[in-house]
Amino acid sequence: MYDALFQQLINWLTLGCIYSLLALGFSLLFGVLQVIHFSHGDVAMVAPFIALAAVQALAAAMGGSATWVVLALACLIAIAAVGGLGIALDRLVISRFRDAPAMMPLVATVALGIVIRELIRHLYPQGSNPHAFPAIAQGSIDTPFGALPMISVVSVLVSVALVALMLYVLHHTSMGMRIRAVSQDRETARLFSIAPGPVFRNTFFIASAVGAVGGIFLASYAGVVRFDFGVQAGLIGFSAAVVGGLGRLGGAIVGSLLIAAIETIVQGYVPNGTSYRLVFVFALVILVLIFRPAGLFGVQKMEKV
Amino acid sequence: MQTSTTNSTTISSTAAAARVAAPERMTSSAIVLGVCMGSAVLLRFFLLAESWVTVLVLLACFAVALIAVQKRPAVEDRIVAAFSQCKPLAVCLGIVLALVFPWVLGGDSYAMHLMIIACLYAVLALALNFQLGSANIPNFATGASYGIGAYASALLAIHFGVSFWICLVVAAIVATIFGFLLGLPSMRTRDSYQALVTIAFGIVVHQLLMNFEWTGGANGLVGIPSPTFFGHSFNDPITLFGHSLPGQANFYYVAVALLGIAIVSAQRLHSSRVGLAWNALRDDEIAARACGINVTWFKVKAFAVDAFLAGFAGTVYAFYVSFISPDNFTFLVSVTIMTMVIAGGMDNTLGVIVGAFLLTMLPEKLRAFSDYRILFYGLVVIAFLIIRPRGIFPQRVRNHEH
Repeated sequence: MYDALFQQLINWLTLGCIYSLLALGFSLLFGVLQVIHFSHGDVAMVAPFIALAAVQALAAAMGGSATWVVLALACLIAIAAVGGLGIALDRLVISRFRDAPAMMPLVATVALGIVIRELIRHLYPQGSNPHAFPAIAQGSIDTPFGALPMISVVSVLVSVALVALMLYVLHHTSMGMRIRAVSQDRETARLFSIAPGPVFRNTFFIASAVGAVGGIFLASYAGVVRFDFGVQAGLIGFSAAVVGGLGRLGGAIVGSLLIAAIETIVQGYVPNGTSYRLVFVFALVILVLIFRPAGLFGVQKMEKV
Repeated sequence: MQTSTTNSTTISSTAAAARVAAPERMTSSAIVLGVCMGSAVLLRFFLLAESWVTVLVLLACFAVALIAVQKRPAVEDRIVAAFSQCKPLAVCLGIVLALVFPWVLGGDSYAMHLMIIACLYAVLALALNFQLGSANIPNFATGASYGIGAYASALLAIHFGVSFWICLVVAAIVATIFGFLLGLPSMRTRDSYQALVTIAFGIVVHQLLMNFEWTGGANGLVGIPSPTFFGHSFNDPITLFGHSLPGQANFYYVAVALLGIAIVSAQRLHSSRVGLAWNALRDDEIAARACGINVTWFKVKAFAVDAFLAGFAGTVYAFYVSFISPDNFTFLVSVTIMTMVIAGGMDNTLGVIVGAFLLTMLPEKLRAFSDYRILFYGLVVIAFLIIRPRGIFPQRVRNHEH
């Protein structure tokens, strides 16, 4: 009885932490750019593919099998590469919609997501098939309540550490201060000679790299990755960010935990729940937005008329 | 949307050209004739083009024409003026061309199929245009309304033997009720939040269709009976003067009629008080509220109109393909429809139709790159948004002199 509950709690916490890595990117990007980066989920899901390729390349170069050092190194390469990809996408496409009506960048990034998925499908070897993804941590710890999988421990610890690091960077470094200044008022920030260009670049790097970690964990948690996994990951991350209130980092985390909770409960306790999982998740999203139109922690913006 | 604020309130200069002398009227008629026939011929060759080289050449022609128009706005203004002068001629010509078109396709059933799908998507895009184009309400659930219409009519036809024509009305009403249901919670939210509500609605509908047993689950519904029209079964070819058209032609005429209804309602709504209220909403919601416009009511109305037309299109689609599954009504379908509106031209009826036709046919015509179709599609969308951000045919200045 308690064992099952314990497992569910572990599942919830792991999923919630992974989702929050994705949701934070949406929130951060929205805060700074006032743009929903709809391909964020797809960008994040590029990471497991790069990591897989890097593992093979590194293992071949070292002439040995894939040890955990190789795996960790490959993941770091993937995270950095995806951060760079975020910057590149901003430079190539998203930056062109800085002053356009909000629908334009939204649709552009949806199309960008399609392009990313299709590129993986066609350019990656065997891209249209599911790829097995190695567990980044194996084994489990025995506790009085049952087995505690290492992968959950690692996911939760890394997520918490990353979030802490992100908050530290945002609130205690000059780069973070510039990011917050631009997110509060781009024009005034410019008056204080904060060039928006580097700020956008940094934001995209941080958001994409953190999302990449989420993507790798998600792939590792599922044990498999496919070119179109980014759609659902993106939608769930976006929903979590919106439920918490776009632009509020704390809200994104709470939103993620809430969505993960619904998923775990439905999967664990509702008959045939696995197939109805998304129905419950998105019904919750609609409900929250009916009662709190700006998300749980969102502030209704004052508007000058 | 800031730029359109000033545009939409100024009275068009083209309106002044409405009162003109007879010789100018002649040239106007010539322009209308030329443009209509020219686009019909272009469309015919585009539909029947076998090799991708021909397709690219035709596309290049289209692009050159667009660039010419963009370089010299006077040309565009002249064409628009010509059409507004010779409205009856343009309407009659349009109807005749639409009726005759299947006969010049030489019995090519694949081209016919493309035309039907393009017409249905044009209806869907026009439906979404009421929200996205006129009122700037992001709605990612048009695909869901389309699906609700299709499933409602398919279930009625399969289980209760209801005829196509009754299904058409009932499905549209069912879709509208769901449109209201979606519209009401969306009213409290705005922008990105509203976008998410509609996305969530679309996914919930898709997942339910996928999981309910009575909707056939992932396998969908099979064996939707073919409709009849005064004893003429839609499976039979249309025969006239010894020539016969493939069976799809029946549905082509239904789809064209539906598109006609959609165009008329789009035009009427655009020039009515409702259209004006939607435009006011788009430009500044709070100012609109201050002017006494019942914002919530007009927003819900936009949702309802969208769902109503989408329900129609869904019914025609269901009966046409006689097999529907949840995969026909995914989030991606809604995004596609949205792209048609944006690439074609927001709040411009003609632009939306051109966008729908182009984006339906282009991927099909590029079968040579069949694997890369979707990739190409994404790239085209991005290119469009960057190169011509206001669409192929941007929204025209409102013309208040009738």
